[in-house]
Amino acid sequence: MANEILEEHINSDYKYGFVTDIESDNAPKGLNEDIVRFISKKKNEPEWMLEYRLKAFAYWKTLEEPNWAHVFYPKPNFQDIIYYSAPKPKKELKSLDEVDPELLKTFEKLGISLEEQKRLSGVESRIAVDAVIDSVSVKTTFKETLSEKGIIFCSFSEAVQEHPELIKKYMGTVVPHTDNFYAALNAAVFSDGSFCYIPKGVRCPMELSTYFRINASGTGQFERTLLVADEGSYVSYLEGCTAPMRDENQLHAAVVEIVAHKGAEVKYSTVQNWYPGDKEGKGGIFNFVTKRGICLEDNSKISWTQVETGSAVTWKYPSVILKGDNSVGEFYSVAVTNNYQQADTGTKMMHLGKNTRSTIISKGISAGFSNNSYRGLVRIAKGASNARNFSQCDSLLMGDKCGAHTFPYIEIKDKSGIVEHEATTSKIGEDQLFYCKQRGIDTEKAIGLIVNGYCKEVLNKLPMEFAVEAQKLLAVSLEGSVG
Amino acid sequence: MNTIEKLTTTDKIFKLLDSNSSNHWGEEARVVAKEAFLKQGIPSRKHEEYRYLNLELLLKDDFLVTSSKTLTCDEIAHTQVLKNAIVIVIENGKYVEGHSKITLPKGLKIIDISKASSDVIFQKQFAKFADVNTDAFIAMNTAFATGGVFVHVEKNAIIEQPIHIIHISAASESLLVNVRNLIVVEENAQAKFIESFETILPNTVKIITNALTEILVQSNAIVEHNKIQNESKLSGLINTTQVYQKKKSVFTTNNFTLSGSFVRNNLNIVLDDEYIESHLNGLYLTRNNQTVDNHTLVDHRKPNCNSNELYKGIIDDKSSATFNGKVYVRKDAQKTNAFQSNKNILLSDDGTINTKPQLEIYADDVKCSHGTSTGKLDEDKIFYLRARGLSEASAKKLLMHAFASEVVEFITIEELKNYIETKISERFE
Repeated sequence: MANEILEEHINSDYKYGFVTDIESDNAPKGLNEDIVRFISKKKNEPEWMLEYRLKAFAYWKTLEEPNWAHVFYPKPNFQDIIYYSAPKPKKELKSLDEVDPELLKTFEKLGISLEEQKRLSGVESRIAVDAVIDSVSVKTTFKETLSEKGIIFCSFSEAVQEHPELIKKYMGTVVPHTDNFYAALNAAVFSDGSFCYIPKGVRCPMELSTYFRINASGTGQFERTLLVADEGSYVSYLEGCTAPMRDENQLHAAVVEIVAHKGAEVKYSTVQNWYPGDKEGKGGIFNFVTKRGICLEDNSKISWTQVETGSAVTWKYPSVILKGDNSVGEFYSVAVTNNYQQADTGTKMMHLGKNTRSTIISKGISAGFSNNSYRGLVRIAKGASNARNFSQCDSLLMGDKCGAHTFPYIEIKDKSGIVEHEATTSKIGEDQLFYCKQRGIDTEKAIGLIVNGYCKEVLNKLPMEFAVEAQKLLAVSLEGSVG
Repeated sequence: MNTIEKLTTTDKIFKLLDSNSSNHWGEEARVVAKEAFLKQGIPSRKHEEYRYLNLELLLKDDFLVTSSKTLTCDEIAHTQVLKNAIVIVIENGKYVEGHSKITLPKGLKIIDISKASSDVIFQKQFAKFADVNTDAFIAMNTAFATGGVFVHVEKNAIIEQPIHIIHISAASESLLVNVRNLIVVEENAQAKFIESFETILPNTVKIITNALTEILVQSNAIVEHNKIQNESKLSGLINTTQVYQKKKSVFTTNNFTLSGSFVRNNLNIVLDDEYIESHLNGLYLTRNNQTVDNHTLVDHRKPNCNSNELYKGIIDDKSSATFNGKVYVRKDAQKTNAFQSNKNILLSDDGTINTKPQLEIYADDVKCSHGTSTGKLDEDKIFYLRARGLSEASAKKLLMHAFASEVVEFITIEELKNYIETKISERFE
């Protein structure tokens, strides 16, 4: 493990910064009603979908860009973005052999070799992957295996065609198009994404995973994920993201919706490693994402785990609406910022049902010139009796040019609610470093060790495959940050 | 819609105050402040710092700015809670010498603020700390303050007697009071202050007080500042305390909000030198339809300073309490220790608690933490006491009193401590 980290150090920087030479099919730059129609037509969508998009677009035009977050960046020019970009050729793919070899190479570089996955089928730890490049879902693996169980796991546009009743029923119920500026934009121009439905009583036998990648230049990525867990089902879902290195800022505005029915459990893990910009803070992805889940019925559970190391500007708050009685919401987060990165992230826990519980563990690490903020809301509504929340958000500062901030909002309207919040900010202890160095571990590695220990509570929540990747990511992200 | 309403409230208040403004002390600051007030306007609920308050509603009445009512000595006797204190009475926003009891010890100077313009120190320090561009109420106060006092404690002077500033207002028609104080404590000096807020009024009118006290704590000085907010049912209070501390000084503030329908505290402390200590403590006991909103800001600008904050509240009936504690640690403020804690007990189903302990940290070698907890009275503790023969009611009373007493313990003036203890006991009867 140590050797691997060392190697990463030498190779350093952002290893996913390659561009794949895949011909792509782009929409013209800019945003207007025609573009919305164009995207809808490209995807061969039914009329109701187009109407939904147009409604969202009309609403978006009335909105102003929000600016309350503790982040500073040049406002994106929404007319200078390509809203649709699909890898060509776009024909029906029957097997992996037909996939563009360039594309396959991309996946190999990303470490998600589709072929490998295919060959390994039957082995214990399997992951079904839905890969989304630029705007279009290119390949979903293990579809057949999953469909035996009745699980639907496919690209969003496929779901619109094949399962319109489910999309109609659930889409926009958790994050309506009127929710916020970027959610409205996404609802108008979303290009693709993943859809997942777990039927009653089914325990999904493998990890479901989506890989997002922005490839083409000048594009924005607007994907939409909808995850529905029916009564008594269970699913663990992973999400990973990378992008090439470019001087310009690219916009990523996604929406994730989760619906958990009675007794269902959803675990959603993200390793976000979009290109963070170079050492001078040039380029990088603007990651403005709306993620929300709803524990619709009793005894359901939604758990968010995220490791945020990438993006120039991150602005996201995976939230849980605890509507059903006895429902549980969890949020585990590690956010690392280095150089000129900025992150404003946290969660919202809305307690509406009785006996609801939520846990928030947030670990922020800032280095270089970066700013890292935790912003969270815990709201206990009137009548949400015996609600319980525990929040802990710790920040670690490395260097004297960075900032760590905490903005917790706590609103309580029920007397039986118990809410605890604690936060600390400090640097890595001199004595901890000394202890490591005394035993022959150099400073850089010692820091990696201490940081990993500091984040352990969160990393433990990640599925095995991701945990290893996340640990490495942490080490790489912080490289060179020791003063 | 919102913006139109906001304009009218702001304009209405401005016109009212401006047309009745006959005060010209601090004229220079007034001109700038008027502009700043109009620019900012009365904050609406969209304003992040005022999101839990409805100021439109509070300020919608027709107000007068001067009261025709004057109080007799008997009427204010109950406010003089300390036997041995220097008493300054400020009635309806103006210093009243006749009610005040002042025997000046050596090193202490107390001047009516409206007559202090010729004082060299006043000229140098007045309106230098509360920035009119940061808050609409600071601007309003600076532009339209009618009176108050200027207190000066000389170098090396140790004032044994507590200095009690009583703000008392009485009116038969709704009244808007802007009152202003300046306290300067010079190097190596020590002093203890009490500011209390009281109102006497019939049940049909309300008094809104916008009080601002600037406190300058020079090097090595030690200052204790206690506030008792005990206004009557329909009173509203916006109380800004702006503190500026120099090297090795120690400042303690203890804030007790006991009654009043609407209380907003803005406490801003700037630690602009090394080795400074600041202690901020607060207690709020709310009931009925009370709204209490405590905003504190501790600005660590230089290294090696300590700040400690503890705010506690017990919320009952339909009342609501807000706590927003900000700690800034600037880039140069290495070796800062900043601790913040907010604890609340919610007794009723209709009460609301909003809390937002906020840290903004730009230096790495610091130890900062904050914690907040909200809950009900501990069942186990109640059981423990009941097992020993206490009734449920008295067990709860005992626990609440104990919860509140932690803050009272910070007072060093024995007489005041007893007074607050009695008030708390009365409250839980």
